[in-house]
Amino acid sequence: MIRPKIISFICIIGYLSVVFTFPQVFSPQIKKLGVLMPAIYGILVAANFIACVGLWYFKQWGVQLYIISVFAKTLFYILANQLGFGFYFNCSVSFIFIIILLRFYPKMNPNL
Amino acid sequence: MLWVLFKESLLFAWQSLVSNKLRSFLSLLGITIGIFAIILVFTIVDGLESNIRGSIQSLGNNVVYIQKWPWDFGPDYPWWKYINRPVPQYYELDELQKRCKSTEALAYRMGRRRTIKYRSNSIQNAVVAGISHDFYKIKNFDLTAGRYFTQNETDAGYHLALIGASIAEGLFPNEDPIGKEIKIAGNKAVIIGVIKKEGESLLGVSFDYQVITPFNFARYFLDVRSENADPMIYAKAKPNVSNAEMISELTGIMRGIRKLKPMGEPNFALNETSLISKGFDGLFDIIGTAGWIIGGFSILVGGFGIANIMFVSVKERTNLIGIQKSLGAKNFFILVQFLGESVMLSTIGGFFGLLVTYIITLLGKDAIDMDISLTSTNIILGFTISILIGIISGFIPAYSASQLDPVEAIRSN
Repeated sequence: MIRPKIISFICIIGYLSVVFTFPQVFSPQIKKLGVLMPAIYGILVAANFIACVGLWYFKQWGVQLYIISVFAKTLFYILANQLGFGFYFNCSVSFIFIIILLRFYPKMNPNL
Repeated sequence: MLWVLFKESLLFAWQSLVSNKLRSFLSLLGITIGIFAIILVFTIVDGLESNIRGSIQSLGNNVVYIQKWPWDFGPDYPWWKYINRPVPQYYELDELQKRCKSTEALAYRMGRRRTIKYRSNSIQNAVVAGISHDFYKIKNFDLTAGRYFTQNETDAGYHLALIGASIAEGLFPNEDPIGKEIKIAGNKAVIIGVIKKEGESLLGVSFDYQVITPFNFARYFLDVRSENADPMIYAKAKPNVSNAEMISELTGIMRGIRKLKPMGEPNFALNETSLISKGFDGLFDIIGTAGWIIGGFSILVGGFGIANIMFVSVKERTNLIGIQKSLGAKNFFILVQFLGESVMLSTIGGFFGLLVTYIITLLGKDAIDMDISLTSTNIILGFTISILIGIISGFIPAYSASQLDPVEAIRSN
């Protein structure tokens, strides 16, 4: 099946967010949270990116990984007490994206 | 099974890297420069920060400085309000010692740059300080040789001096300085102690280039009423007394000594080291953020370089991928093979970046005599960034390779 435009839009937003959030991995703010925090945050950013690649290829594992990475990232922000406007905005947008992705989930390719 | 598959994929990746040495070298160069840039900035910032924090710590957290000028780092410093204030005087120390109950120790200090001579050797611009006796109870310093002044020696203003390690090295390269007579701005003084080497301090509070003398002796070559000698009174709080309590008491006593009206503006400043820390916090944040932006862009460029080279690599080996798949290789095997190659490339690049940073810190340490070292946090950060950039930049080429149709792949040139 051809990838719907809305999924392409989500993927492009996802790629752009990775470009902007990747430098945060080594930002002083994340570094201050702990020695392993940059590594943990980096894994979450990488997972988000891989999920977007999966979505681009219209694969079910892309949706699964996207949901996991969104929840893990939310948990990270809560534990790190980084609850600003950006956090609530990201949560809302991600929640809307997850609902859209779940609508298309049955039509997606279940293979790797 | 999975491990065997993984190991075999990495072996393929390694062989590919080795067979294209120049291409591998050029693509890892981008990551090397990126990691070098970002980790070097972080290392320098960490070194500067620890040096300044150490210097602030050495000033004492529970010490308050009574001075003419308040420590303020804002852009709107109202200097005109403070310029006509009197400087702290030695007699004010006596009064404070009599009346103050919250302090463990009080000391007076003033100092200026003077020339120190011993026979034909001389050191210009050494800081010569005149102190009251309890100075040692407030400032932490150790002596490598000799002793501190006695109460009688400081009170009577004996012509004695303690010298810093760098002064001792400069004036007495091959001699023991204890008991030798030096000249401070033409006044003779006998050395009774050498202060342990402290190293460079960015706040300029190191004792290495200082000569300490009793205040009543320093009167001969320091103008006690001059602001240029930066006179100040140190007050150290008793163990269970907070700085706020001590400041409150000191304010009342100082107002009394200077006969200020109850509602009048104070004509003295009570400074705490926390004010310096706050002033530097903003500076470190700016330097850290600047380093983060510069390094971030370098890393991104390096990442694009690796992604590009991985696409070329996939294109070059399309036939091979087709053959591997037709012989039963799974998508996962192809994915790990290319992803492993890109992660390997970026990790090796990161390793060289860290190595160059380490060498630079070693050279820098000798050159500027400051403790700048590559910390484990920055090493972990360097490797984390390298691995992540390898995964992010290599995933799309690797995944597109894994999705190739074997028949189409074998047919391609």
